[in-house]
Amino acid sequence: MTSQTTRARRPRPNGVVLRAAAIAGAGLLAGGCDGPQSMLNPAGTEAERVAELFKVMLVGAVLIWAAVIGLAVYAAVVRPGAHPERHASALIVCGGALVPTVILGALLTYGLQLMPSLRAESDGLRVTVTGEQFWWRVRYTTPDGAEVTAANELRLPAGARVELLLDSPEVIHSLWVPAIAGKMDMVPGRTTRLVLEPTRPGLYRGVCAEFCGPSHALMAFAVEVMEPARFDEWLRREAGPATADAPEAGRRLFLAHGCGACHTVRGTEANGVVGPDLTRIGSRHTIAAGILENTQENRERFIAEPDAVKPGVRMPGFAMLPAPDVAAIASWLGDLR
Amino acid sequence: MRWFQRANPTLWTLLTPPTVWALHFMVSYVVAAVYCAKADGPFSALGPARLTIGVATVLALAVIAAAGWQALRHAEFAVAERPHDDDTSADRDRQLGFATVLLSALSLVAVVFSALPALLIWDCR
Amino acid sequence: MTDAPVPAPLADDASRRAQEERLLAVWSAGKGFRYWAAVNNTEIGLWYTATAFLFMLFGGVLALLIRAQLAVPENDLLSAGLYNQVFTLHGTVMMFLFAVPMFEAVAILLLPQMLGARDLPFPRLSAYGYWCFAIGGVFVCGSIFFGAAPDGGWFMYPPLSTDTEQAGIGADIWLLGLGFIEIAAIAAAVELIVGVLKCRPPGMRINLMPLYAWYVLIIGGMILFAFPPLIAGDILFELERMFDWPFFDPARGGDPILWQHLFWIFGHPEVYIIFLPSIALLAMIVPTFAQRPIVGYSWIVLAAVGTGFLSFGLWAHHMYTIGLPAISLGFFSAASEAVAIPTGVQIFVFIATMLAGRVIFSVPMLFATGALAIFVLGGLTGVMVALAPFDWQVHDSHFVVAHLHYTLIGGMFFPVLAGLYYYFPIAVGRQLSERLAKWAFWLMFTGFNVAFLPMHLTGMRGMPRRVFTYPAGIGWDWLNLISTIGAFVFAAGVLVVAWDVLRPRRAPSGRNPWNAGTLEWLGETPARSWGVRSIPHVSSRYPLWEQPLLVRQVEDGRWYLPDAPEGLRETLVTSPLDAKPEQCLRIPGDSFVPMLAAALTGGAFILSTFHLFVPAAVSAVAALLVILQWLWSVTRAPEVESKDVGAGLRLPLYASGPASVGWWAMFITLIADLSAFASLVFAYFFYWTIHPDFPPSPPAGPGQFWPLLAAGLALAAWVATLLARSRNGAGSTVGLRLWLAVATTLAVAATAALVWGPWTTGLDPTVHAYPATVWVLSGWAALHLLIGVVMQLYCIARSAAGALTARHDIDIRNTALYWHFAAITVAVTVAVVALFPLVA
Repeated sequence: MTSQTTRARRPRPNGVVLRAAAIAGAGLLAGGCDGPQSMLNPAGTEAERVAELFKVMLVGAVLIWAAVIGLAVYAAVVRPGAHPERHASALIVCGGALVPTVILGALLTYGLQLMPSLRAESDGLRVTVTGEQFWWRVRYTTPDGAEVTAANELRLPAGARVELLLDSPEVIHSLWVPAIAGKMDMVPGRTTRLVLEPTRPGLYRGVCAEFCGPSHALMAFAVEVMEPARFDEWLRREAGPATADAPEAGRRLFLAHGCGACHTVRGTEANGVVGPDLTRIGSRHTIAAGILENTQENRERFIAEPDAVKPGVRMPGFAMLPAPDVAAIASWLGDLR
Repeated sequence: MRWFQRANPTLWTLLTPPTVWALHFMVSYVVAAVYCAKADGPFSALGPARLTIGVATVLALAVIAAAGWQALRHAEFAVAERPHDDDTSADRDRQLGFATVLLSALSLVAVVFSALPALLIWDCR
Repeated sequence: MTDAPVPAPLADDASRRAQEERLLAVWSAGKGFRYWAAVNNTEIGLWYTATAFLFMLFGGVLALLIRAQLAVPENDLLSAGLYNQVFTLHGTVMMFLFAVPMFEAVAILLLPQMLGARDLPFPRLSAYGYWCFAIGGVFVCGSIFFGAAPDGGWFMYPPLSTDTEQAGIGADIWLLGLGFIEIAAIAAAVELIVGVLKCRPPGMRINLMPLYAWYVLIIGGMILFAFPPLIAGDILFELERMFDWPFFDPARGGDPILWQHLFWIFGHPEVYIIFLPSIALLAMIVPTFAQRPIVGYSWIVLAAVGTGFLSFGLWAHHMYTIGLPAISLGFFSAASEAVAIPTGVQIFVFIATMLAGRVIFSVPMLFATGALAIFVLGGLTGVMVALAPFDWQVHDSHFVVAHLHYTLIGGMFFPVLAGLYYYFPIAVGRQLSERLAKWAFWLMFTGFNVAFLPMHLTGMRGMPRRVFTYPAGIGWDWLNLISTIGAFVFAAGVLVVAWDVLRPRRAPSGRNPWNAGTLEWLGETPARSWGVRSIPHVSSRYPLWEQPLLVRQVEDGRWYLPDAPEGLRETLVTSPLDAKPEQCLRIPGDSFVPMLAAALTGGAFILSTFHLFVPAAVSAVAALLVILQWLWSVTRAPEVESKDVGAGLRLPLYASGPASVGWWAMFITLIADLSAFASLVFAYFFYWTIHPDFPPSPPAGPGQFWPLLAAGLALAAWVATLLARSRNGAGSTVGLRLWLAVATTLAVAATAALVWGPWTTGLDPTVHAYPATVWVLSGWAALHLLIGVVMQLYCIARSAAGALTARHDIDIRNTALYWHFAAITVAVTVAVVALFPLVA
């Protein structure tokens, strides 16, 4: 949430509008960099470097804009009398040609040499993310070749350089975690590569950043950056079968209603790959690809009417099932940690 | 007079420097793109491609410089002051010449800018 | 040195009145229904401008719908499906139905005035372009009322948009609209290039040309290389949607990235095609209110040419995030930064002119200054996103939305408004209200900045583009609400302008109300249908300031073409560099034919969109026949060889070959055609780049024999056509007709051979991108041969009718010119599809 500073109430005759504007402005400034999805609140090496670059460019842009427009206003309004033509010509040469060439050349050089460092080789962990409509298929590959399949959430070790291999079977998507790094598109027919090097543990948010259909706006994912030791442990657990202490009823209903034809839950007979892997769905921060909090109520809602939550979703609705069945399935899923 | 010491500037001589930039740009882009497309993974070194682009750069700069030098003679900086707005063929030539000088300078800068990636980036990542 | 021409002596009152009556009779538009048959630039320019403004208002309403939906998080004002149509149509309408047509409209309206010409050289072509634009635009805009608008974003990326299940008929309607706009744009390019280079007033050497003319010339050239890749892309796109040819389907050898390349090779120059003509208006306005000639004329030429060229090296900066190698991105970064230099030069020229002059306040200057304030900010964020690492963060976020609106509103919209206030007297004969203008300006300026400045932050806080809603509490709520409020304030300002334009008004503006120096202000306001009373001899950049006797002389009919004794519309053709008079050009008068041709062309496209192929074919054939008849009727040989055009000048009435404007028009159109063909060839080699094995082995056709045979036959047909031309030139009509008959036969045989190769080797275009590409290339070449056959038959018919003779031979000369390009097309096609597989 953006934090908004409150202003001490001061009686002012016609200050209502002013106050509102001031509050909004102060709120903007105070919350200027905040948010789990803000590139100005960097938690990764690339985001940090780019945020620095932006600050430099911003200062430069403000100065240049003020100088140029100040000069235009000066020439048009403040001192509209005739200046010597020689000065005017010199302005064109210096301001139009020489100064921009130097500044742009320097900026270009900086930008060019930055690029390779942001695409460096990984430390060993590789994650393959496949963009579906409208969710994320995630597969971790450890340096010794073990593979762990998950969905809709990304967990990363802090301080390590992770290589993401991105692809998409049907339409173009784009994976973007602004707090950590820039984005990379997921293009059918090719595999693209994104390097994530998170620096701070925490919970961040990523989104799809290329229009991909009706629920493009509803295709996000949580990113949890963990201490390396915790991450290793998490990955070890994630690789194994699902553990559930919940009543068998939920699992039986899940399989009986055919959910296993599309979803995989390791440790059960469910092994479909059309939809997201649900092996440890209970431990995820969100469901429906970053859209709903992972609560019993939301799980029930999504099972019954996925189309109402995400227009154009591929999953059929199960509203025709009796409510207790849906509740039982949702409860069982919630216990899969 | 040699063919490249044409007496008069034309719209074609005006457009020569930026056309050379365009050809240099196309060559650089195509060489690097095809090289990386056919190469073996993102960390393949770009050696021959960068060399080719370097040669193309030198050639482009030379041609643009020649065009600019020719245009300098057309512009007759020592003889007449700007603006060249008399309705004489001499002023027409000077105006076209001056514009060509400016375009040559811009094209030189643009070619140098275009060559920087080949200088600073060494593989296909 | 040449003797300076002198005007004719002053004629008596009665003669002058009679001249004026004859001119009016010839140039005035018809009354009642016949008014809509007008082709004069005064009418067409007005309709074009008004239509473009109406589409802009429509696009503006769509924008307000977007902002209303995004005002609060998780809003349900618009469903996802409707929102996606709304934002797609907003972008499509603004870019294709407002921004580009507006430049064409203003050029058609004003360029002849600036050049002291009566009209552009091909008025019916302008009319045809206008009607195509109007029909296409109504169709595209109307689609949303049927829920059938395109919904994949204004650049409609495959595979989403080529999937006929996920993207409905809206995608085809989008393509349809684009097809019309492409026609209108190529038509405009022809008009403007020929107009600027061949229809200037005598004496207006190239160094004396108004800067608007320089800009428009460059832009015409840009159109020839920018629009054709889009045309090629559209062809591939529609072939995939309609016939399942897999150009963009990776499962069958295609690649969605090919579309992105073709689209953006068009798309980036496109925004400069939008920006440059608007800045050109400022180049005309600033000297007037600085009360002095521009400081840095040649710097502007540098800026226009430099920006025009460099803009073609930027396109992949729209594709920074698709995974191209960093070095490739680097080239586009380099050009994207470099282009800021000539762009900035223009701004400094304006400031320098203001500094060196004595600026007087006016509404156009207010809008011009506001334009600069907004555009410079957009340009600075452009310099930022030119760096790939920064763009990797902000691409496809609201930061880019903010950037593009700053550059478009500041670089196009505000300058066009400055032009509106400045040129309103010429168009309408009245002034707009200064008081309302100030209200409009401050509402728009404030509203715009309130809407879009915070949007940079919204994007950097992670809000992507094209989202119909967003979750609460991420940090976007207030920002979006503020943007929405700003948008409505901006819209209020636009409404004020609209009201000012439409309301009835009182005082006439009088002649040259701004005391400007350039020729468009020569005549009375509003501009009379005749354009200029007589075509002046010009000897300076600012004739109204530097040739004080000129206005009186022109209005007294003492210069060229002061009369229309034969009852025909005429203007002068002059040489490109020195504007030496070359020809008195007879141009066609009002006619419904362009409208009819546009309707039939439209019918062909529209009916195809709905898969009614037979009616579409009928409409296409009808369109072709109408166009041939139109051509026939306007290329009548004149009754005499030359005529006295006044002020002691006698000029020929007929020209053919490289001296004729018709030949130029053919040449220019063929450059555009060759660019489209080059784009298709690019597609072939693009596939070679991305596939390790392309053409796929085992060798799949079309083989070598049939294509090479086709090439031989086509080249023979070309030679035969050239022989026909030379025989005709030597006076042998039999020779002409015989060789044309031979050429036609050879060409038909070549067409058959071209198609037979892929057919007989079993190339199925739905199986893989390779056969599809071979078919597209072969089909394109075959189509061009058939067009060449139509031209040859046309020449035979003209000869039979006695209209094509040794002296009046424009038909065969243009046909021969066409055949040069057709021969190149066939030769390259065969080299690619038949010979390249041998070395690949």
